[in-house]
Amino acid sequence: MSGFATLAPVYSTPAAAHADTLLNDTTAETRSRALNQFLASVELKAFKIAQASLRNEDDALDAVQDAMLQLARAYSERSAEEWRPLFYRILENRIRDMQRRRTVRGRVIAWLPFRRDEDDEDPDPIAEAASPDPPPGAKLEMEEAMVALEQALHLLPERQRQAFMLRNLEGLDVAQTATAMGCSQGSVKTHYFRAVQALRARLGDFEIES
Amino acid sequence: MTTQTHETSELERRTRAVLEESLTRIDARTRSRLNRARHAALEAARQPRSAPWRSRFVPVTGGAVAAAVLAVAVVLLTQRPGPVSKPESAQPSLEVLDMLADEDNVSLMEDYDHSFYEWAAAQGESPGEAGGGDTSSGSAGG
Repeated sequence: MSGFATLAPVYSTPAAAHADTLLNDTTAETRSRALNQFLASVELKAFKIAQASLRNEDDALDAVQDAMLQLARAYSERSAEEWRPLFYRILENRIRDMQRRRTVRGRVIAWLPFRRDEDDEDPDPIAEAASPDPPPGAKLEMEEAMVALEQALHLLPERQRQAFMLRNLEGLDVAQTATAMGCSQGSVKTHYFRAVQALRARLGDFEIES
Repeated sequence: MTTQTHETSELERRTRAVLEESLTRIDARTRSRLNRARHAALEAARQPRSAPWRSRFVPVTGGAVAAAVLAVAVVLLTQRPGPVSKPESAQPSLEVLDMLADEDNVSLMEDYDHSFYEWAAAQGESPGEAGGGDTSSGSAGG
């Protein structure tokens, strides 16, 4: 009996390990699926937020990609509820880094003789093409509204724009926005209020056909 | 104040509608790149994390290696070159070895002419005889 008692754990170990492995695999698969779902739900909005700040599609894509990678590497083990503010916190940091780098690069390039701006390059017609679903003439007003809003957002101070985009487009609440921006909830409210005031001053009623 | 709040809400609603509409017009290329970025991130999340000891060990090892390299560099830079002792005893022995290894030298030793060296030595011992010897030997030779 004692022999069985001694041997039992030895023989049961592979089965237990196998069960643990299956459990781990299942957990990992579930988590991976949840992460995929989360990233799919934020990627377009994140791109739009990054684009509003960086005003460059490639830079915005790079920022979103970096944020996705960092979240997956460093925070995928966190609970899914924490992902959204963490992701936007990472994205905001990345955007700020890119803006700083761009400022430095601009200063350096300004000193170089015979410089050629990247904007001088001929636009890629495929890249410039709109979505497969071209807007009909009835949506012209919406296009104009988009351009007007984009310009008005660009004129906002960085923090106000962040607060507005995170609250208005992404739908984060005040606490989540504060986490994402790394500031207090009171600051978020102030930035958001000022952003709305400034947008109203520039856009007026901003009436569009729904 | 109520009007102000209502206006703010209306502006927010309209801007949100415009921003959401702009999301639907993001081109296929951008969507594709975002999709690829997402899958790359998921792949990164699947990669096993490095062991906890490794993250501590690597900086320690790196620091130790850097310290060792620095110590060696300091020693090498501060060390003055001392007088180098010349291995004098090694020089002749090498010459002897060369001589022995050379076949020409050996053949010269075999063709060694004793009579010439004996005559030269005798001339050195008696210089007077050497002059007469020269004459006599010159006449004898002529």
